[in-house]
Amino acid sequence: MLDQALRAAGAIARAGVWASGALFFAAAVVIAVDVTARKAFALSIGGSDELSGYCLAMGAAWSYAFALLHRANIRVDALYKYFPRPAKAALDVVALVALACFVAVVGYYAFEVLAASVRFGSRANTPLQTPLWIPQAIWLAGLAFFLLALFLVTLKALLLFAEKDYAALDRLAGLPSASEEVEEELAGVKTRMAKAP
Amino acid sequence: MINSTLVLFLLLFAAAIPVAAVLGLLGLALGGLYSFMPIHRAIGEIAWGAGTDFILFAVPLYILMGELLLRSGVADRMYEAMRHWLSWLPGGLMHSNIGACAMFAATSGSSVATAATIGTVSLPQQRRHGYNERLFLGTIAAGGTLGILIPPSINAILYGYLADVSVPKLYLASFIPGFSLAALFMLTTWIACLVRPEWGGARMRSSWAERLASLRHVLPPLGIFILVIGSIYSGLATPTESAALGVLASAALVVWNGRLSWRVMRESFEGTMRTTAMVQLIVLGAFFLNFVFSSIGLTRTVVEFIRALGWPPYWMLFAIIVFYVILGCFMDAMAMMITTVPIVVPIVVALGFDPVWFGVLMIVLCETGMVTPPFGINLFVVQSVRGHGSLDDVIIGVSPFIITLFVMLGLLVAFPELAMWLPRQLR
Repeated sequence: MLDQALRAAGAIARAGVWASGALFFAAAVVIAVDVTARKAFALSIGGSDELSGYCLAMGAAWSYAFALLHRANIRVDALYKYFPRPAKAALDVVALVALACFVAVVGYYAFEVLAASVRFGSRANTPLQTPLWIPQAIWLAGLAFFLLALFLVTLKALLLFAEKDYAALDRLAGLPSASEEVEEELAGVKTRMAKAP
Repeated sequence: MINSTLVLFLLLFAAAIPVAAVLGLLGLALGGLYSFMPIHRAIGEIAWGAGTDFILFAVPLYILMGELLLRSGVADRMYEAMRHWLSWLPGGLMHSNIGACAMFAATSGSSVATAATIGTVSLPQQRRHGYNERLFLGTIAAGGTLGILIPPSINAILYGYLADVSVPKLYLASFIPGFSLAALFMLTTWIACLVRPEWGGARMRSSWAERLASLRHVLPPLGIFILVIGSIYSGLATPTESAALGVLASAALVVWNGRLSWRVMRESFEGTMRTTAMVQLIVLGAFFLNFVFSSIGLTRTVVEFIRALGWPPYWMLFAIIVFYVILGCFMDAMAMMITTVPIVVPIVVALGFDPVWFGVLMIVLCETGMVTPPFGINLFVVQSVRGHGSLDDVIIGVSPFIITLFVMLGLLVAFPELAMWLPRQLR
């Protein structure tokens, strides 16, 4: 049940990342068109800066879960690496709980931001007059999904800790070793090499 | 207040809590302890504000640009050109490594991308031509760090944002130090090969015809550099807008070289968003903490405390540099910068130093952090591309270049004009 939920969260996180990446690319196109039109035809479409700001907030929010599941969040391992395995496992759980606490607080007050926008019908103080609740709702949904993913991972981590399955816990929430971390970074290089003639 | 902050900070870090959560929780704790007002409520507005900032949108765009360039196949050809131009020097291809890194750095804002790209292209050459493996690895790890100094640079964007300094000015200021550092890296290689000629491997001679013919491979990266940096100084675009132009140009190169596929786009997006999410979460934590620091007056207290010490400014600066060099050994360089800049820059400015100049110094300190063991991301990248042997080989190989980085820091302190001359000319 929990494993299924985690797999589903992983699939949603991946979809979120693809959608966010495509959104960023689209934003780059819009910005480039805006810049070119401004210079070439002295014609300003305008608003591309405001809209890409929303893209950044929405895209990042919808990518947090992916970063979590790929253990991309930076942790300082200066002491961690000298601890025995059970202590490391305990710290992995503590790290998840700490992150969840922080994100829960952010999420709660982010909800208040959205609630205020809805209540007052707030619009951006720009020519576009974007109704703020639209980007804020997508942003908040991303944060909520991140919190859900954090909850699922923490639950799974606690179960693995109780079962003393430290190896699996390490794969789920441990600090990736230097080589694992770089493997993620280099995924692209490896493909590129495979393709090179 | 300073003491309890420091203790809490170290405790959370020692427990290997994610950096973003350390900053956020510290902010919440300090706000609860020292503020009469419920300042934690501002976190929603801060998250929305910092999350939608147009300047910060340059960061994912630079990352995406690098991810696309990595897959576009320009690096192989560019390296080939550098080989024709630089490999006659004592140390042969090792100079091409550094030259190619400097050139790639001029199109990429990330040191990891630079080291990974050039490492992949150049490492197969090392054994074929009989170079000293360690020094060869060192040139790539060190040369790769140029990615964040030579503009465009992700670190410059983040520093500019956090320290409220103009990014175009920072770019201008890092121009001369960036290329000087590349030259110093080459000089280091040269000296190493003069001392130990057997390290230098085969020197290669290229004809002038080959050299001139190879120049066309330099055109695509040069074009992107001119587009991205030129559009800023011609007044055409802001840094974020120029990054968007760079993304499109890189995408065009991917298409031109016949590398466009669903897979390439998907992997570029995943790589970009993973890093963006990680950076944005830390920026959110740092921004909130910074807000709490100034609300409870901690920034002022720290600055006053430092003033009261009455140390001569240069002693204080020296202490700050030592602090960063040590921190850089244990912490990811970008996280180190985002975490500390909001509190250190006010101190540095109070001591009478220029924040733009300090930004360049800060970026060179980040570069040093990327190659100093035990935690140096570029060491890991080069080792991973190499795929065999021990990490110690890379650490030993890069050590002469760490000295070079210290020399660069010394030069920047002794001759601030190195950084400040160019911004003044183009004001």
